[in-house]
Amino acid sequence: MSYILFQLKRNPLAILGICILILWIIIAIVGPSLVPFSYTEMDSMNQLVPMGTDGHVLGTDNLGRDILARIVYGSRSILSVALLTSILSTVLGVIIGFSAGYFKTIIDTIFLRAMDIIMSIPPLVLSLVVLGILGDSTIFSLTLIVSVAFIPATAKVARGVLLTEKNQEYVMSARIRGENHLYIMFIEILPNTMGSIIVEATARFAYSIMMVASLGFLGVGMQPPTPDWGMMVIENKPVISQAPWAVLFPALAIASLVIAVSIFSDFISKVLINGR
Amino acid sequence: MDADILELKNVSVNFETHEGLFSAVKNISLSVKRNQSIGIIGESGCGKSTLSFSIMRYLAHNAILEGSIIFKGEDLSTKSEKELESYRGNRLAMVFQNPYSSLNPALTIGFQLDEVGIKHQRLTKSRARRASIKALKMMNIGDAEGIVLRYPHQVSGGIQQRICIAMAILCRPDLMILDEPTTALDVTTEAVILDTINELREKLKMSLIYISHDMGVINKVAEHIVVMYNGEIVEKGPKHTIFDSPKHPYTRALINCMPRKGVVKEESRLNTIKGYVRQRGAFEEGCPFAPRCEKKSATCEKMYGLKAVGVDHLAACERAYATDVSQSNKITGNRAYHFNKTNIETRELLNIKNLHKIYPGKRKTYALNGVDLKVDSRSVVGVVGESGCGKTTLGNLIVGLYKPTDGTILFDNTDISKVWKKRSFKTLKDIQLIFQNPGRSLNPSKSVQQIIGRPMKSLNGIKSSKERRTLILELLKKVDLGSEYLNKKSSQLSGGEQQRVAIARALSINPELIVCDEPTSALDVSVQAAVLNLLNDLQVETNIAYLFISHDLNVINYISDYVIVLYGGKVCEYGKKSEIMSKPSHPYTSALLSAVSEVDPKKQKKVIKLGKKLNDPAKKPKGCPFAGRCHKQVGNICVTKYPPQHNVSETHFYNCHIPLN
Repeated sequence: MSYILFQLKRNPLAILGICILILWIIIAIVGPSLVPFSYTEMDSMNQLVPMGTDGHVLGTDNLGRDILARIVYGSRSILSVALLTSILSTVLGVIIGFSAGYFKTIIDTIFLRAMDIIMSIPPLVLSLVVLGILGDSTIFSLTLIVSVAFIPATAKVARGVLLTEKNQEYVMSARIRGENHLYIMFIEILPNTMGSIIVEATARFAYSIMMVASLGFLGVGMQPPTPDWGMMVIENKPVISQAPWAVLFPALAIASLVIAVSIFSDFISKVLINGR
Repeated sequence: MDADILELKNVSVNFETHEGLFSAVKNISLSVKRNQSIGIIGESGCGKSTLSFSIMRYLAHNAILEGSIIFKGEDLSTKSEKELESYRGNRLAMVFQNPYSSLNPALTIGFQLDEVGIKHQRLTKSRARRASIKALKMMNIGDAEGIVLRYPHQVSGGIQQRICIAMAILCRPDLMILDEPTTALDVTTEAVILDTINELREKLKMSLIYISHDMGVINKVAEHIVVMYNGEIVEKGPKHTIFDSPKHPYTRALINCMPRKGVVKEESRLNTIKGYVRQRGAFEEGCPFAPRCEKKSATCEKMYGLKAVGVDHLAACERAYATDVSQSNKITGNRAYHFNKTNIETRELLNIKNLHKIYPGKRKTYALNGVDLKVDSRSVVGVVGESGCGKTTLGNLIVGLYKPTDGTILFDNTDISKVWKKRSFKTLKDIQLIFQNPGRSLNPSKSVQQIIGRPMKSLNGIKSSKERRTLILELLKKVDLGSEYLNKKSSQLSGGEQQRVAIARALSINPELIVCDEPTSALDVSVQAAVLNLLNDLQVETNIAYLFISHDLNVINYISDYVIVLYGGKVCEYGKKSEIMSKPSHPYTSALLSAVSEVDPKKQKKVIKLGKKLNDPAKKPKGCPFAGRCHKQVGNICVTKYPPQHNVSETHFYNCHIPLN
């Protein structure tokens, strides 16, 4: 704990990043009950009005919907998808990567080749194609597909950290007292690799925000009328010269969240990996 | 001529960390004269290396250096990085502990050596190469012209270290600092390197600072000794004075706790120093050794200062006390009775027949090439040999980490020559292993209670956690640890405590045999003594048999009943400890014994020089594995035919073409 404070003192940027992240989490949880407009409500009198008109703090878009309300509601979906994705891809990645690295036989070879194949397709393209085929995107399908796209990377990280731990003497000592493989992998080795794995998971969190926003921008994100930051940017792109705020604010939201998570991830790695 | 080359005035180094300011080196004043050799000794954490790094100004960014370092009249502590370049590697040279990581694996040895001459002396390439070869020849490296074309990984560790020293002497520095240069090397190699260093100093007339934790090594190379504890000098003086009449309790303890030749478990326990080297805050006062000192008084906690106690002899303690192993430490009659093995019935516990292990791969490694060994219950068998002789492989095969390629291991008359997966729980329980590095053999994320309790639960079937807890507490008491250790993690323990926990884990399931793989090599001498005493007591108490693997002959001599000497995966000699130590019959055993450095400066002995032709572990061995290095080779027969076994006595035999007498 004292080490965390020590690192915080030395990295003022980390404090900023963590504050932004906490702010977004609070907005996602309590924000919707505080904004006066619904995210679907179309104010036909106030289309594309600038900031501060008739209670629309951040203005409205081309259909007269309140931008603040849409950003606040949108933060819920993007944060939940990103969180679920980073958890799911990490858990699956660890299981796959650990099994491959631990047994180191034909399983490992098959794993490495399979991962190479998945990795050779850009994750964005992969998700785009699969979501295009599936049709309607829901939180569930988005999470699943983004996770699958991220598994090779997390699995490779997990395999790497396992390989460095595997030849440690405490693992040998577990073997010669006859422990089974699952015990050795998940009870002996896993706790000692948690640092690297958590760092990888937070990095994946930032990537999946980018990914979900990009998918929204490309039109395969959350289905309307669910607000989606990426989609808000593309919807209002034609009117960017009349109402730049309609594009600017969702873009700022994406940028601030991604940067905050990245800074947080750097900080975590300083504390968990360098601090050991 | 007698001017000081280097003078340190009140040098202190503090490290700024998140837990506060820590003192690594405190108020050190020291001078090194031209052509003088100074040995700095102390356990790990005593600031020896930090002191040498501060002379070179190689300190980490969070270090704060105070005081002045005057080298040939110039204060190095105020120089900029740019100015320091002309000193480092040129006038001041340093050799590090691990030669493998000080050489760049991607560049040829010649290139790395030439760089020094080109950079500091502005030599042309061809002249730099000639200088490099000359330096290598000075280090007694055979084929120097061939070595310069090779890469670091193509030569052995001993040669690598000699190359590092050659690199240091290229510019004829005024001062060379050697930081534990032989700690990572075998005894025979160490002996040769120490001889070379002495020769060099005579030839080049340079000053030397030699850092080591080993009194024996310091004895060989230094004229003047500085004893450091916790960042402060506790005693300094000429070598003979320090060895003959050490004044500070720490010096005394350090000299006494090493298992020396002639000290055996049947006669005496080893002297120990209780506790361990703590981290010291920057503002703590008083004698750093006070918490561990047996003779401390109230003033010790406040007062500290070096006083002259003789000619050139300074010590930081007035209570000169020079008693040897105290009477209370001698083993009492009761204990000695247990050592009288003839009264106790023993049975054959382990019988290894013709054991082979070949590690597969593109280049096969012939690690064991037919080893026979019998271990009786209740006995301690010491396995000794240099690195690469197959002693660790032997231990690993016995505990079942790998499967033997050929041969059988009989344990209690059941065949256990298979891997752990296929062994019965009974066998797994009966054979335990203690590793060399206690920190790595304990899972860092588990508490002591979990570490010791797990084998009890899985192998001894003690399901109730309450029952386990009481047993664990009992065990901890046995290894001199209290109940406050139950919930600590291994990173919160010192090296000695970690090894105690590892011993407790091995004992937790009442094994019949414990394979101890260099259990004390990673520990400081004072801690080593305590762990050896503990292992010894436990053995007397529980009658477990030990297979004690070590490269250190003094340790083997102290703890074992029988000794087996391995070389190149073959048995050289086997016998009772007294037989091996008093009349070694195999040339390799005599060479090993001669290479052990003495702690007493009055005893000087001649080191047997071995040849350099090591056997290639990737080739199927033919003949005697030691033939290439043997100083007593009798002819071609050594290379072509494996030597026969000669029996010296019922329990003592050796394999050599030279017959008895």
